[in-house]
Amino acid sequence: MSSGLPPIQGAPKPQVKALNCPKCGAAIMLRALGQAISVVCASCHSILDAKDPNLAILQTFDKITSSDPPLIPLGTRGKIRGTDYEVIGFERRNIQVEGIRYFWHEYVLFNPYKGFRYLTEYQGHWNDIAICKELPIIDTRFSTPPEANYLGEMYKHFQSADANTDYVLGEFPWEVRVGEHASVTDYIHPPRVLSSERMSNEVTWSIGEYIYGKDLWSAFALPGSPPEAQGVYENEPSPFSTNIQAVWMAFAVFALGLLILMIGFEASAKKESVFHQSYLLSRGEPKGESSFVTNTFNLDGRTSSVEVTTSAGVQNDWIYVNYALINQDTGQAWDFGREVSFYSGYDSDGSWSEGKQTDSVVVPSVQPGNYYLRIEPEVDRSHAPVVYSVDVRRDVPVSAFYGIGFLALLIPAILVTWRSVSFERSRWSESDHPPSPIFNTGDN
Amino acid sequence: MFKKFYLLYGILVLGGVGYAQYRGMSLDSMNQLKNVPKSVRDNPGSYRSIYSSYHHYTGGK
Repeated sequence: MSSGLPPIQGAPKPQVKALNCPKCGAAIMLRALGQAISVVCASCHSILDAKDPNLAILQTFDKITSSDPPLIPLGTRGKIRGTDYEVIGFERRNIQVEGIRYFWHEYVLFNPYKGFRYLTEYQGHWNDIAICKELPIIDTRFSTPPEANYLGEMYKHFQSADANTDYVLGEFPWEVRVGEHASVTDYIHPPRVLSSERMSNEVTWSIGEYIYGKDLWSAFALPGSPPEAQGVYENEPSPFSTNIQAVWMAFAVFALGLLILMIGFEASAKKESVFHQSYLLSRGEPKGESSFVTNTFNLDGRTSSVEVTTSAGVQNDWIYVNYALINQDTGQAWDFGREVSFYSGYDSDGSWSEGKQTDSVVVPSVQPGNYYLRIEPEVDRSHAPVVYSVDVRRDVPVSAFYGIGFLALLIPAILVTWRSVSFERSRWSESDHPPSPIFNTGDN
Repeated sequence: MFKKFYLLYGILVLGGVGYAQYRGMSLDSMNQLKNVPKSVRDNPGSYRSIYSSYHHYTGGK
């Protein structure tokens, strides 16, 4: 929530005056003499009329926030947007939602030539507030939530509430009172917030921009570090939203690149058949040593893959083949075993089948040279005659790499989108327009 | 920040896929051996595959 306060006109001459509180006699320094309307005695907490040379007492209140002092002490000077300001006032306000009071703090900043400016702080979230230069236009006809147009920028309604002031300190450019009520409405366009504040028949609009605590601490040269921001604030800029569109654009470009890679490799791959042979295992075979070697075949070209395909006409049966692809000249070998099995039948659910009569495996990064296969088939002892064939092809692309690449590109894009959506849901969950739950639990 | 990371990451992914395909890499598991004796050519039984005596699944409903 922001302060909606009238600006001081003109560029007055800076004046500072030391006075005494008419109630307790404590020294009071008026930093915005001639511009402050109210001043609060830090000693007895009387609210005094700063326009009155005798500082007439407007209100007295019990100090109730001794444990909640200003995080930026009154009198502190700092530079905001290139202008020096001094903190001259502090107030604590609250709203009550569903029986819970939420407190926030407002600071009045003053520069004798630029006038007043405000800072608000809620649970470590800060806003730099100024009075609007134009009256915003509210559009409730076509948009849900309603929107406000300010200087051509659309702001979505976030929250309306009744605010109450419960503690004041320092100087204020209006007649401040403890217990003061105002209807406040916030519209957001992160990182900006547009706020209206209605008191009696007067409405004040202010525009704020989210500012990080560490930047304020630096601007005011404050010791230590600012309180850590808790949760997601209404106009806190999302660390993800600016990335989402660009990330998905990049994803689309990369996916296209992947497609081009796939087309390129599919078109340029030789897929050259270098060996094909069929074998018959009659009933009762093999007897004794079952392994044998094939004729030598040549794998030429660059280092690339070799695909070995085993096809077997098995029906409710299996064949397992131990392979070794051996380089005749260097003795380098790849050892692997493949099973071909196929089962089918019919039951009360209808026909079913399981397995395949063909199996392929890709041997990686095989250098050119003369190779042969050592083959050692294994079958069930009671097998029917099995015909199986072995095919060897050179330079065959592996489609799974494209799938892995696609997933590798997709997952970060989904994650960052999910985080962005979660951030926005957290933001709006605190508003008058909370998002509907993603998963409906059915609980009433 | 993430945008830059993703751009670099995407380039690495595409490069990785291209390199894997060009080098003929594979996802299939197999055992690579060096210096298999030339005698295997004449006596295949002298070589024993580490995958032999595999426990075979005899499927079906």
